[in-house]
Amino acid sequence: MRINRKLGAFGVLAGLCFTAGMAQAADDPVAVRKAIMSSVGAAAGLGGGMMKGGVDYSPAAGKAAIATMRAASLSFGAFFPEGTGEGDTGAAATIWDDADGFAAELAKFSAATEQAAAASGKDGPADLDSFKAAFGPVMGTCKSCHETYRKKN
Amino acid sequence: MKKAILVLALLGATAAGAAWALSAPTRMSAEDASALRQGDAANGELVFWAGGCASCHAASGAKGEDLLKLGGGLRLETPFGIFVAPNISSNTADGIGSWSLEDFANAMTHGTSPDGRNYYPAFPYTSYIRMSADDLGDLFAFLKTLPSVDGKAADHDLGFPFNLRRGIGLWKRLYLKPGPVISEPVTQDGLDTVLWERGRYLVEGPGHCGECHTPRDFAGGLELTRWLGGAPAQTGEGSIPDITPTDGGFGGWNAADIAYYLESGFTPEYDSVGGEMVHVQENMAKLPASDREAIAAYLKAIPPVAVQPN
Repeated sequence: MRINRKLGAFGVLAGLCFTAGMAQAADDPVAVRKAIMSSVGAAAGLGGGMMKGGVDYSPAAGKAAIATMRAASLSFGAFFPEGTGEGDTGAAATIWDDADGFAAELAKFSAATEQAAAASGKDGPADLDSFKAAFGPVMGTCKSCHETYRKKN
Repeated sequence: MKKAILVLALLGATAAGAAWALSAPTRMSAEDASALRQGDAANGELVFWAGGCASCHAASGAKGEDLLKLGGGLRLETPFGIFVAPNISSNTADGIGSWSLEDFANAMTHGTSPDGRNYYPAFPYTSYIRMSADDLGDLFAFLKTLPSVDGKAADHDLGFPFNLRRGIGLWKRLYLKPGPVISEPVTQDGLDTVLWERGRYLVEGPGHCGECHTPRDFAGGLELTRWLGGAPAQTGEGSIPDITPTDGGFGGWNAADIAYYLESGFTPEYDSVGGEMVHVQENMAKLPASDREAIAAYLKAIPPVAVQPN
């Protein structure tokens, strides 16, 4: 009983934190999704640089790139409330006009990161070839979404 | 007074007659037609990818083998109205299966159909006019090998005056020109001239890059003084980027960056390709590496277009 009460208190606290986070995000979902996408860009730069050979490979860096993509793929889709397609945003109107299609692209992204995270393990992919095998499919999902759901630039 | 009216009427009739004559669909000269020969389908496949035929004539969202089913139907929603890509499969009734090579070459380089109608320049014959007779023959041979698809695509949906097909004949007199856009490279510094010219051919001809990357005037003709300098998107939201060697812009990409982008779809910062360029990039990735290097060499040695003041 006592334990349950403690757990309950923890739950409430966690709930509060979560709500506070959501409130902040809800204030400016465009800024949040841009920050997430810029972390995706940074992870793509790191991972892509290692795949192309401009950056030396290390398992820790490989793990960081994969973990960043994983977190982004699970959170990104929550920051596209209706009415946030105007102004300084790359989000195309198709995100809301074709919400199912956009959700399907997000699902492809998270499925690819799930596989990559599983292959990454505790220490990251051991060598460049295993990193390429894990990270390549994640990189492959960028353009299939950008083809339809990002404004041209 | 009576005389004046008569003169005016005569002038009017003359003008109308002249407009009618000037808007007549043109065909290629006998000399150009004699250079055509049935080609090699294997090279024709490369021309097919370079030309981006499938991007409009295959079904929307098609991938893999489906890119070879050219039944048409893609809708291009532009400021001039909605253009619908026609069936160019080997079907004899609904596609181009009954066409001769000369019919095909007239369509590609003069925008004129076998039955003597003008095509709208949503079909980029203003670029394809720069294609070689050999490539046209090879491409036609390849198209003949592709599957037959039943069914005609819907008609275009255009408002007045764009729905007057005959008027395109006048438009073609203004904007349909053979010959290169950029006569020579702007720098000779370390330049491989043969490679640059190959790049020019691919970009200005089959690749038809200028059709989206160059702004259009009020009549829909390309503003060649701002060649590849970026433009508002003709379909969908946003804009198409400047791909001239502008300082602080695309000039920051080196030739290897451009070739890598066309191969992989990633910019030097690992942003990904998007929009219609996804099709273009995937087509370019099917060409030999030397062709992507040629495109890069060309883009590095054309005049930079000044940023348009807002």
